[in-house]
Amino acid sequence: MDLDKLRKTAAEVVSRDDVKYLIGWRRGTFGYRVAPHFIEDAAGVDELIFSPLCIANLANYLTLTEKLPVPRGQEADTRKVALLVKGCDSRAVAQLIVEKGIKREDVVVIGMPCPGMIDWKLLAERYPETDVAAEIGWKGEDFLLIRGEEEITIPRAEVLAEKCRLCRHPNPVLSDITIGEAVEPWAVAEDSGVAEIEAKEAAERWDYWEEQFSKCIRCYSCRNACPLCYCEDCILDRLDPIWVNRAVNFSENTAFHLARAFHLAGRCVECGECERVCPVGIPLGKLNRKLARTVREEYGFEPGLDPEAEPFQASFKPDDPEEFIL
Amino acid sequence: MSAMLLNKEKWSEFIGKLSGKNLWAPAVQGEVKKYAPVAEGETVELDEGNTTVPPKALLFPQTETLYRFSTGKEELEFPGLDEEMVLLGVRPCDARAMALVENLFRWDFDDPYYLKRRELTTLIGLACNEPELNCFCPSVGGSPDSTEGLDILMTDLGESYLLETVTEKGKAIVEEMKDLLEEAPADALEQKEQLAKGAREKIRRGIDPEGIPEALPQLWEDPLWQRISAPCLGCGICTYLCPTCYCFDIQDEIEGSAGRRCRMWDSCMFAEYTKHTSGHNPRPTRRERTRNRINHKYSYFVDKFGVIACVGCGRCSTLCPVNIDLIDILRQVKAAQ
Amino acid sequence: MSEQFKPNIVAFLCNWCTYAGADLAGTSRIQYPANVKIIRVMCSGRVNPLYVVNALQQGADGVLISGCHPGDCHYMEGNYYARRRLKLLKELLEFTGVDPRRFNMSWVSASEGHKWKEVVEKAVEDAIAAGPFDQFRRRQIGW
Repeated sequence: MDLDKLRKTAAEVVSRDDVKYLIGWRRGTFGYRVAPHFIEDAAGVDELIFSPLCIANLANYLTLTEKLPVPRGQEADTRKVALLVKGCDSRAVAQLIVEKGIKREDVVVIGMPCPGMIDWKLLAERYPETDVAAEIGWKGEDFLLIRGEEEITIPRAEVLAEKCRLCRHPNPVLSDITIGEAVEPWAVAEDSGVAEIEAKEAAERWDYWEEQFSKCIRCYSCRNACPLCYCEDCILDRLDPIWVNRAVNFSENTAFHLARAFHLAGRCVECGECERVCPVGIPLGKLNRKLARTVREEYGFEPGLDPEAEPFQASFKPDDPEEFIL
Repeated sequence: MSAMLLNKEKWSEFIGKLSGKNLWAPAVQGEVKKYAPVAEGETVELDEGNTTVPPKALLFPQTETLYRFSTGKEELEFPGLDEEMVLLGVRPCDARAMALVENLFRWDFDDPYYLKRRELTTLIGLACNEPELNCFCPSVGGSPDSTEGLDILMTDLGESYLLETVTEKGKAIVEEMKDLLEEAPADALEQKEQLAKGAREKIRRGIDPEGIPEALPQLWEDPLWQRISAPCLGCGICTYLCPTCYCFDIQDEIEGSAGRRCRMWDSCMFAEYTKHTSGHNPRPTRRERTRNRINHKYSYFVDKFGVIACVGCGRCSTLCPVNIDLIDILRQVKAAQ
Repeated sequence: MSEQFKPNIVAFLCNWCTYAGADLAGTSRIQYPANVKIIRVMCSGRVNPLYVVNALQQGADGVLISGCHPGDCHYMEGNYYARRRLKLLKELLEFTGVDPRRFNMSWVSASEGHKWKEVVEKAVEDAIAAGPFDQFRRRQIGW
């Protein structure tokens, strides 16, 4: 990874008149944390990084940033937003374009071929976090943790994030500028998490999810972190009609999680943000990946690969599967 | 304050006697640690570190039925609150949070639900010998062995627990457990002081809040709020899992001819929190919401009750998915002053 | 349970085909189980999957959705969208451990009174086999 080239490119991009700001990553304030970094002028690029801890999907901010009404007499700021994307993040951008959530010409996409990211929780189990932000890089297949003088090689298999183990598109599917060489997609293991649940009896599956959904505190971080959950008027915030009661209990939590997973069916790009941000460890990715697999295997469709594609749930084929219909 | 010693050999007997009293203790469930009921016959292993979900969830449940109603019936049905509860292994910061939050629930109106629960609950705390990465309780007036809000404070001395009685409620428990306890020798108290001192020294992060409550109103329009809130996801993690956040919403749930009025946690980080019926939102973006969260804890609460509404447990910093770090925010506030 | 379990089935029927088919079953004096509570919607494509989740939350033991045969939709293609959408919902419910027999979907045209009877019988039979569904009931869990 050529950090100098990244920073130089970023400085050029933010200096453009038609770019409002650039969203990248910077080192966090402690441990293995990395924070999204909003750069408005070339001075900000010195903090910009790209490391195996840059797991957050920044495409979320394209729709998360509030668009306030423009005061009378003022012009709306129509400058572009520049964004660093990994393979999965670029799929979110493509899917947003498909859904007309954003316009292609409103973003400058800087693609970063991604060799795989670390699940910091796995790393912290082996090497606890400290109050100093750690420096981590890639070393061949593996990861390299630098702590002062000490350099520790961490085998890839030990700390690679689950979504990266299952990743089929490590290279950005769209970008205006690409930094670094494309990476060779790696062999993808079977999705054991989903298969494990499918192998259970219905009652066991129910018990499994009952335990998981009961933990939910409805902080909505999964919804907010998702680059594709961007409805301005979310059904979960509605009071009339009220779809999911505000009460936090197993019944309402289940309704919420079914709704969330369903709304992402045929749209989810498997960036794993929902699961990553969950403070109580609900394996939300399994719900999404189950539906994504159905869509891939039975309809031959993968969202977020082609910005010109038809949205999956707003299109059909006359010969779609219907064996379940009486 | 009397001090007694509980040999760890008698621990399971101690738990056995407590478990008849609706005992709750931290338990690990998958990835999260939270308070769970201890059934009779079960044992409890207390370890270092704090729970993800603070024990406020037991005194101020995330969803609480205030009363039930049905058509054709004039009387409302109130849930009876009469079950006593014992919480074991409460961290001093979380207990202090309950004492702070009580300020609000006793303020212009006595909240019968919260106060009743508080009255029925005995808190047996556990001093922290090994503070966590983001612990900063001494910065905000707490300490790893603070007794504020607790009824009994336990300290792990290795072979045994030292039990210091703080309140009458605590005294009653100690009295009941008399057979299992022995008078603490002076060197046990000495050892405890050493452990507490050691714990304070192990705390790595922190900030002197001096001047922050006064600085915050001056920084109302400062660009730092835009900078801090830009990565914010607008989720409820920092507030829901904060031991001193107490905001709630009240809703009616109706099905058929019956229903209930209940209150549930709400979060100032949600857009809906301040949204008016008209659709207007006085806090339209995450900038205003983040600013409110910090101002509430470090300025408004101080104005009203004379104390910072933060106990330095570090949960918000540890659990934020995008590294919005309270200690870092406070540093920026001081720097902008 | 000495008395046989009488399941509650909520049926969402499209206005143009199945609702008329059910009506035909009635006027033709075709007898079918009275367990279905029919809710008429304009098109099977109008059935929001949350209707299904909500029905299950509020006491339904099974849900049936029925619309026009492919190609017959009054709105040309509503039932094609419904087919995609509800297939995914069915998979999702199954994955979370809901008995698949609680969810049925059918194509019944305005002239198929007999088919409507068969579909209802199947849905009732399925729901009886799956048993009462109260693990998810709002009132039992929340209240």
